[in-house]
Amino acid sequence: MTDKATAGIWHWLLGAWMLLVIYGAFFYAPTAQGFVGESARIVFFHVPQAWVSVLAFCVNLWASLRYLARRDPLDDARAAAAARLGLLFCTLATVTGSLFAKVMWGEFWNWDPRQISIVILLLVYAAYFALREAIADEERRGGLAAAYATLAFVTMPFLVFVVPRIYFSLHPDTLINVRGSIDMEPRMLRVLLASLVGFTGIFVWLYTLEVKLARVLIARQRRGES
Amino acid sequence: MPAADSLVWVAAVTTIIWVGLFAYCLALTRRIRRLEEDR
Repeated sequence: MTDKATAGIWHWLLGAWMLLVIYGAFFYAPTAQGFVGESARIVFFHVPQAWVSVLAFCVNLWASLRYLARRDPLDDARAAAAARLGLLFCTLATVTGSLFAKVMWGEFWNWDPRQISIVILLLVYAAYFALREAIADEERRGGLAAAYATLAFVTMPFLVFVVPRIYFSLHPDTLINVRGSIDMEPRMLRVLLASLVGFTGIFVWLYTLEVKLARVLIARQRRGES
Repeated sequence: MPAADSLVWVAAVTTIIWVGLFAYCLALTRRIRRLEEDR
């Protein structure tokens, strides 16, 4: 079997897996207590999106450090792809979170520490792309973007994990709560873990595609230069 | 089956996001395949 055929099978398996997750989220997991209507079911998608954004920013750091060490344009493309996906999933997590906020607390925006810190994180990584767009020279852009990404990453754990735990927040307990335990109904936990696997899978797929595209474009550019 | 009061919007948002991501992946795969064939 060719690599393309194997990849195709994995992609459709991932699609089927996520259809099962969607089914599980609405028909297998019970209704959560203490939430308005069925709003808590958003957790099966909101938490994995937030997890994938953290994962993507970690990949962005790894690729940026690699670029600083080796100056390979593909590493710069890897870093940009990871940051782009991190920004996409962080935006999705913010949107799903604000929809949940509207149902639970009556407003999309509540000046909650969790909301503020995630928007600051979005701005930090949006600035990464503003920086990239502002520099025409590829090598200079790669170096500066990698240095900025390294510094940006330092803010990530602080904004995602620390700030929301310091101040009072309307946000429900995180998956692993402040007591260090997971207080979730077993069926809900199963669906959530399955969704985490599915979203990680689609991140890997998207990232691989973005890097593949960058590789083709870099090769084209080099052929054009020679 | 869960109560339908706030289920519709949760289902709509999550399904749109998931289908959108999956469709984007498939479109990107096709674009890369075309670029590779051109090469």
